[in-house]
Amino acid sequence: MNDFSELESELKKLRPAAVSPALRARVEQAMLRTDATATAGVLPRTSSGKVWWSFGLGLAAASALVLLGLTFFAKAPTPAPIVAQTSPAATLAQPQASGLQPSALTQVVYRRRDEGLIFSPNQSERVLRRVRYQTRETMQWRNPETGASLRVSYPAEQVVLSPVSFQ
Amino acid sequence: MVMERTLEDWKTCFTQLGPPLLLFARRWTNSRADAEDIVQDAFLRCWRRQQPLENRALLYATVRSTALDRLRSDQRRVRREASVAQDGADYFEPQFTALDEGQQLLAAAVERLPNEQREVVILKIWSELTFAEIGNILEISQNTAASRYRYALGTLKKTLQPHE
Repeated sequence: MNDFSELESELKKLRPAAVSPALRARVEQAMLRTDATATAGVLPRTSSGKVWWSFGLGLAAASALVLLGLTFFAKAPTPAPIVAQTSPAATLAQPQASGLQPSALTQVVYRRRDEGLIFSPNQSERVLRRVRYQTRETMQWRNPETGASLRVSYPAEQVVLSPVSFQ
Repeated sequence: MVMERTLEDWKTCFTQLGPPLLLFARRWTNSRADAEDIVQDAFLRCWRRQQPLENRALLYATVRSTALDRLRSDQRRVRREASVAQDGADYFEPQFTALDEGQQLLAAAVERLPNEQREVVILKIWSELTFAEIGNILEISQNTAASRYRYALGTLKKTLQPHE
């Protein structure tokens, strides 16, 4: 039925010219270069370095904003209602003699433990709730003239006693 | 289910399909260097997308779209290609290898085919695609692809018949 079968078989005997070694090398090199980024999906995978770089930049920008805000709105930390005991801590005013001025104060509470109800040692009738806070405080001073800065970070612990009423 | 292909699989695929892809790319250029660029771009595009290697028609379709993109991006190239890609234009470089006298005549006859017929022959004979696949690649109907193929073979047969 197909009177072209002989012609088709003759055509199939013809072999297309081979790909030049230069082209083959170019293609293979290109695949090797991008082998790390080609995935089963469509888009190349983002390198983890780029992610960390972006994360670092974002963190730095956020820190700068926090410090700037604290510089403008800094005020002396208000004392806790009742502080039974506290770790010794430096005060922000100390390094001012060297031209350093307080620029930032941060306090991060990383643990809060409710230790229950206790009787006040002074007023035996009074019941108090004792809560222990474990924090890390960071203070920063900066000399606006020289640009020098000093940062002190230390762990701290506070125990707060709050009166409890049973009405 | 999509099978994950290794780099070696892609290299093997290029070894096997490179020659017919190159032959197909010559449809849009009479320069072997330009055709090689088209094939390289298209093949790497498929590789980056991790297209299924079983789908050879997709490779040819990518070659075609890459070639058309190149033509569209440079109007001067369009005019130049249009002037040289006339039906029956001769190519300066052989597109087939190691031929005896009879095969050389046949190869020359193939190269003189009208472009639209020659590309169907290339896809059918050396790429072993179905008319349906050829139609998808060339954006023509299956019947048109088959019709062009028959015309092409008829022309070749007539050309190769001994003159009486």
